[in-house]
Amino acid sequence: MEFQIDQVIGNLNELFGGKDHHRQRKGLDFITIPKEQAVAAITYLSNPEGFKHLVLLTAVDWLEQGQFQLTYLLNNPDNKQDLGIRVLIPRDQAVMDSIHDLWGQAATYQRELREMFGIHFPGSPRVDQPFILEGWDGPPPYRRDFDTKKYAEETYFPRPGRSSNDPTEYMKHQLYPDE
Amino acid sequence: MGKINDILSPFTAWKHLVNQPVTIKKPLTRQASDRYRGFHKNDIEACIGCGTCEEICQNAAIDMVPVDGIGTKNGDSGLRPRIDYGRCCWCALCVDICTTNSLTMSNEYTWVDNDPEVFRFVPGAENKPWDQKEQGWKKPGSGYELYEPERVNMEELPPEERDHSFIEIVKGYSHEQALLEADRCVGCGICVATCPAHMGIPQYIQAIRNNDLEEGLRILYETNPLPEICGRICTHKCEEVCSIGHHGDPISIRWLKRYIADQIPENEYKKILETENLVKNDHKVAIIGAGPSGLSAAYYLALMGYSCTIFEKLSEPGGMMRFGIPEYRLPYDQLDKDIDYIRSLGVEIRCNTAVGKDITLEELHEQFDAVYTGTGLHDGRSTRIPGTDHKKVYQAADLLRDITLGKEVPVEKRIVVIGGGNVAMDITRSMARLQKQKYGEVGIIATSLESEHEMPADREEVVEAREENAQVIPGWGPVEIEINEGKLTGLHVVKCTAVFDADRRFNPQFDETIKDFFPGDMVIESIGQGMNLSYITGKTREEMKMDHRGRIEVNRDFQTSIPWFFAGGDIIQGPDVIHGIANGHKAATGIDRFIRQWAVGS
Repeated sequence: MEFQIDQVIGNLNELFGGKDHHRQRKGLDFITIPKEQAVAAITYLSNPEGFKHLVLLTAVDWLEQGQFQLTYLLNNPDNKQDLGIRVLIPRDQAVMDSIHDLWGQAATYQRELREMFGIHFPGSPRVDQPFILEGWDGPPPYRRDFDTKKYAEETYFPRPGRSSNDPTEYMKHQLYPDE
Repeated sequence: MGKINDILSPFTAWKHLVNQPVTIKKPLTRQASDRYRGFHKNDIEACIGCGTCEEICQNAAIDMVPVDGIGTKNGDSGLRPRIDYGRCCWCALCVDICTTNSLTMSNEYTWVDNDPEVFRFVPGAENKPWDQKEQGWKKPGSGYELYEPERVNMEELPPEERDHSFIEIVKGYSHEQALLEADRCVGCGICVATCPAHMGIPQYIQAIRNNDLEEGLRILYETNPLPEICGRICTHKCEEVCSIGHHGDPISIRWLKRYIADQIPENEYKKILETENLVKNDHKVAIIGAGPSGLSAAYYLALMGYSCTIFEKLSEPGGMMRFGIPEYRLPYDQLDKDIDYIRSLGVEIRCNTAVGKDITLEELHEQFDAVYTGTGLHDGRSTRIPGTDHKKVYQAADLLRDITLGKEVPVEKRIVVIGGGNVAMDITRSMARLQKQKYGEVGIIATSLESEHEMPADREEVVEAREENAQVIPGWGPVEIEINEGKLTGLHVVKCTAVFDADRRFNPQFDETIKDFFPGDMVIESIGQGMNLSYITGKTREEMKMDHRGRIEVNRDFQTSIPWFFAGGDIIQGPDVIHGIANGHKAATGIDRFIRQWAVGS
């Protein structure tokens, strides 16, 4: 049977609770799948639907909505079709099933997401080992509520001899000290 | 088989013996890419020391420090960023937020030294080899700014809806618009020094962002008890030095101030500003003139417990804010909101009471502990050119006052206004409205000595006057008003080539060969107003020190040479509302100091 992306989308909607389908352009579609069905849907896409290649796995922090959005970008090389699977997971319970048994390289992405966003992927190989932040003891830095300045001030000591001036106060002192 | 390979394979590396090495010889000549983010450069002449780079730096790598040869002045703190490369992570946020685009990065990244102290320096002030390098990171601009360079448009009545009425033109920001506009502010505070009242501008804009308008109102009243008024008609010098204005529209500081005051009804002011239970003392202060400086002095004195009585010559308080500024710029109900709140604190305003006529200055001195005067500039000056004694030649200040009082003012079909300041624009636009009402069309010419770009009037006043079909023709000097058989027919002018001399002194130069004639049936002079100090008489007048320009001499507290007599507002500084407010505030502090010393001393 000939490959039809609309057919695939239809199946995702029907079988895996897919919604919010969006076609960004020909050959690039996005769809949102509930967390519980997501790995099943991705497995189905990899075989039999021919999405053999995991292009990337990334996350967005929707702080205000209290959710992380995982985006699995899959590629079907034979039909030149990309498909982004969006999965929303609660921010305060940031746990997701691993897909390292479908694609080995997924373990690397999951390790990165564990480190940068604090999203857990139980069972993923070496997932708790440092990825690039060796010796990191702060909160996950890609979370939007991570206060870089506060962390820097608490972690790194100020060099002796440094001093700064507030422009408004300095101008008052220079231009109108008596007022 | 495998065994022989194991023995021979190391020798295969020998084939590289004759190849070029892949390492780079010293000196290292490899260039970083063109947009690499390396050591900073700063154009310290263009930099204004706003400190936004320090504020955004997530590694606290930047300090703002004074630099030799750079002074503190209006719009420039005199500070420059010093960068600690022990902390810099080369993210370039400082470059991307830089309001003047002065801070950039070179693509130079190699620098070896044994002394760690040299890796902390002021770019641009300490010569570095990469200062002249073109390559490196610059603010990308065009859509990638970290703040919005364009201001939120203020909705105004279109010319055809406003040119025949005195309805307020500017509509004011909505909640959403104010939030967006407030969000553009980087909070640097460069504007604070320029504001004569040194208002807490970044703080009240921050209050808008936090949607805490009560806090915003408290900040406004710390330095300015007339926010509805200033939010509409302030000359907003602050916006001229706004750091965002260097590469974009300055923040609409004035409209944001108005937004805060507009949102809060007057009956909540006392609660928010915690003035419900002011503790009174036994001292009384008399204030002459219910203009901005007198009202400001009264407000701050009332907060300190003084009983204040304002003596106002005209029928209603407000001074020039009511009798000079037209209603389409400052509606009377908004003026009354600010004044009524000051009244509600126990400040008594006695209208229709002229000091010098209904009560003398000496009587005030006897009845009160101190006297403050802010009588302003109300007497129109004349050009004194031939023809000015004709009955169809008027003074702008007189006409504006009569319009407010509801008196019938003469409106001719063709009017010529002499003057290029805000008062000239006010009378031009007011008369244009009355012409439109009376004749259905506008026939008014405003002409000034100053050229288009030198005109002292606010730019928007000139633009809006033209939108309302008034002609503004700058760059001409009045020579004579032509009178034909007793009837005024117009104004003869010659080209003005320069208004100021090299020392910026008023010294107009004319080219007599270039002439023009503006036909008109009446002429209105609006070349400035003078003060009338005739109420200061007798011993007070004799003892009061005046400066060489005929102004009353005052000290820092706006105290004259007569200890109980304080003076401020347009007769001392300005002329504008915000200087008056600032003077009144300082005078209130001075009066308090004077009375406390005097009370202790007696």
